[in-house]
Amino acid sequence: MKFRLVEWWRRWWETFRHRDDGEAEEELRFHLEMAEEDALRRGEDVREARLRAGGVAQAAEEVRDQRTIRWLGDFLRDIRHGIRLLRRSPVFSAAAIVSLALGIGANTAIFSLIDAVMLRMMPVHEPEQLVQFRRDVSYPLFRQFGQELRCFTDMFAQSSMGRRDVVFDGEPEAVSAELVSGNYYSMLGVVPYVGLVFYPEMDMKPAPVAVISYAYWQRRFGSDPGVIGRSFRWNGRGFMFIGVTPPEFHGVIPGKAPEVTLPLSMAGEILDGSGWFTSDSRFWLQVMGRLRAGHTIERAQAEVTTNYSRVIRAEAEHYKSNEFRRQHILAQQMLLEAAGNGFDVLRSRFSEPLQLLMGTVALILLIACANLANLLLGRATTRRREIAVRLAMGAGRGRILRQMLAEGMLLASIAGVLGVLLAWWSANALVVMMSNGGEPIALNLRPDLRVLVFAAVISVVACLLFSLAPAIQATGKGIQPGLAEARLGAGWRWGRGLIAAQVAISAVLLIGAGLFGRTLLRLYTVEAGFQREDVVLISVKTDRSGLQGHALRERILESLRSMPGVLSASFEMSPLSYKGWEISVNVEGYTYGPNEDDLVHVSYIAEDYFQTLRTPVIVGREFNGRDTATSPMAVVVNEAFARRYFHGQSPVGKWVNFKGDPERMEIVGLAKDIRSRSLRGDIPAALYVAAAQASRPPSGVYILRGAGIAGIVDSALKRVDAKLRATDVRTLDESLSRSILQQRMLGTLSGLFGVLSLVLVSVGVYGVMAFQVARRQKEIGVRMALGARPIQVIGMVLRETAVPVGAGVGIGLVSASGLTRVAENMLYGVSPTDPVSFAGAGGLLLVLTFVAAYLPSRRAARLSPVETLRCE
Amino acid sequence: MSNEQKASVLQGTLDLMVLLTLATLGPMHGYAISARIEQVSKGAIQLKMGTLYPGLLRLAQRGLISAQWDRTETHRRARYYSITAAGRRQLKTEKMEWARMTAIMEALALEGDAG
Repeated sequence: MKFRLVEWWRRWWETFRHRDDGEAEEELRFHLEMAEEDALRRGEDVREARLRAGGVAQAAEEVRDQRTIRWLGDFLRDIRHGIRLLRRSPVFSAAAIVSLALGIGANTAIFSLIDAVMLRMMPVHEPEQLVQFRRDVSYPLFRQFGQELRCFTDMFAQSSMGRRDVVFDGEPEAVSAELVSGNYYSMLGVVPYVGLVFYPEMDMKPAPVAVISYAYWQRRFGSDPGVIGRSFRWNGRGFMFIGVTPPEFHGVIPGKAPEVTLPLSMAGEILDGSGWFTSDSRFWLQVMGRLRAGHTIERAQAEVTTNYSRVIRAEAEHYKSNEFRRQHILAQQMLLEAAGNGFDVLRSRFSEPLQLLMGTVALILLIACANLANLLLGRATTRRREIAVRLAMGAGRGRILRQMLAEGMLLASIAGVLGVLLAWWSANALVVMMSNGGEPIALNLRPDLRVLVFAAVISVVACLLFSLAPAIQATGKGIQPGLAEARLGAGWRWGRGLIAAQVAISAVLLIGAGLFGRTLLRLYTVEAGFQREDVVLISVKTDRSGLQGHALRERILESLRSMPGVLSASFEMSPLSYKGWEISVNVEGYTYGPNEDDLVHVSYIAEDYFQTLRTPVIVGREFNGRDTATSPMAVVVNEAFARRYFHGQSPVGKWVNFKGDPERMEIVGLAKDIRSRSLRGDIPAALYVAAAQASRPPSGVYILRGAGIAGIVDSALKRVDAKLRATDVRTLDESLSRSILQQRMLGTLSGLFGVLSLVLVSVGVYGVMAFQVARRQKEIGVRMALGARPIQVIGMVLRETAVPVGAGVGIGLVSASGLTRVAENMLYGVSPTDPVSFAGAGGLLLVLTFVAAYLPSRRAARLSPVETLRCE
Repeated sequence: MSNEQKASVLQGTLDLMVLLTLATLGPMHGYAISARIEQVSKGAIQLKMGTLYPGLLRLAQRGLISAQWDRTETHRRARYYSITAAGRRQLKTEKMEWARMTAIMEALALEGDAG
């Protein structure tokens, strides 16, 4: 066996050395001469001896086959031949490689996102045993699960805290932080890169220690091992670094890479409020368990369901009087999900759009392949004579097919490498787009083996797709017609089919782009009820300020209003969202039906609220400085409220009161409906109450109007109290675009891909028609010599394009009308069969492909007949 | 025996014959090897160049023989082949295998004759 290996290695080596020094032939000639001499000496027939020894040429061929690896040598020769061909027509090569690289790159980019968001397993011990609980749980429930569930060997809890301030030396800096139970690292099997990590006993004995991520250690501390033992302050509490996690570990939530983890047992000391460990209605922990070996997730689910039903039955006991609420609680389920790739945060948000985009880019690749097939088909037709000659000289058909495939492989592999680079760069750009100004999504996008294999596979598939048709077409016809030089328009049948397919695919993509683009447009132009420009939303951390309550809010608003550039300022509990409170109300002159919903949305706002948002107050007034704790209670309602309770008549002057609170509140104003930040969905009946009249001062967000004023916020706050700090300053624009992120992502990317497909199709049609026209120069020359006018020549070419393009558009429109339903719930205000998008896509394709066909036809029509005839 | 039949018989045993020849007679050129095999087999085995030289090359690639250009007695350039140490070891095992096989074949043939 060893000898075989050595033999193969030598042959492999010889193949690449690519040298034929003629020694074999010398040896063979010597052999023949010796045989002849021997025969002469023995008086035998020389010719007989020569025949017995065999031919030199044939033997030399057999020696060569033994010396090298034939198929490999052929392959290398084919590649060299391919490189020569590519270099001979650089424009063709560049166009082919670029369009293919775009196709492969787009596919690889989307796939690497899918890989990072949905597929990639965490680098932890046996990730396939990990299971997540789909609902957040309370600490007591986490402990109960840990003690009672037998299906799990272990179970950890964690809670993300987003970005929090810590102090190392002097100034506070923001880090992304996470609280984890003591067994977090041991259960995951993550060992420290430097120092120590937490251990299970910490849950019982809280210790002020912290573990930092490798990336943070590198970035903030320059990988200094001396950082172990250093301390920092969090909320006034001292903590000590005890270790660094390994570089490949990015936490358990894809897209979130916590920089600092703290023991869960410290939650009581660093989080505001109380009852973190005792309250069974504070659901703040995400839980992941490790299945006992041999247990399936279904078995665990059965056990969890039994256990959890006891929990919710006990909880439902508290709501005996409220049947609706009781049923709601009893309907709750605790579902499990495999979590080897981490907690599901991005998955549910992005898996649908990503899958849709994957389909889109696959179609782009198909178009690129069709383009290449068409171009190669054209070239194969011109090379027909060469191929026919080679077939006639005895080259095997397989050999010629292999040669053409090698050329295709060459194109595909260059494009594949470029595509991976392109994907790497663009996937990062996509992630920036996905995080969109919010907390950055930290996805590990380094191309891993799976992504590279994916890129290689699609390159090979693409190569087969685009080089097989021309290859079969070129060799299939045999020698005769090839040598006789193909009839006019040979290969045109394939070409027409490919154009039709391309146009159809592009039509689908363009319709998709149209639908998502119009969705986006609808969202941007929807009657929002406010003006989004020049509004800034500010969250303020107030807990260490001397002033508190109503007085603090008044002082902050006063200070903000006094800053230059600020046109107006106000405050709302949770601006532009209807996520706040729902309260039952009684309304003057309105009697509820037996089962009618009596809840309305209630929000506390400060004075000048509607002015700041530029929301028209239709009747009456909004709150002003005279609405104070001592003045009569006043409220403002929105149009939805007026429609519901007053059937469109003016509500101003009527009263409302909260059920259970007899104090009547007078409606002093009717404001226009305001859409929530998602811009979608119905607008609920809303009641606005003056913050100054709230019995407990509400917490909330400050709203400023004025151009370019984000920078003044800190100094305005400092003037009130040096300990006040803005934790979040964001323009309303940013906030809105984040809330319509999915639509923006789909709108932008599908538009981009639609345009890309259009470019590819136009280039394809242009290339094919230019080639057809060039081949038919002689025929065109004859026609023109016989009196055909240029316009007739142009018409002839255009008519030929019209058939495949028309068919393609038709097929595209029909298939799109079936396909767009898939995306229905990602659309807004646009029907999946939106006629504008359909007509637009069809029209755009018709116009552009006709332009693409017109250019070569005009060139043909301009040639003088004499010249074209002389060419032949 | 037709030429083709001869060739197929040769395929498996050519290596062994070449190694045996070189081990017994020392370095030889290709023609001498084929002449020797022809002579020993009394003309039953006639090696075509297209069989012999790829075979020699294969043995050389496996490191069982080595090749060197040299002069013949008549001062002509020829490639001389000689067996290597690895070749001798291989020959030893192959000879044993061959002996074992022939013993089995003989036993079978005898049984066949008896029946």
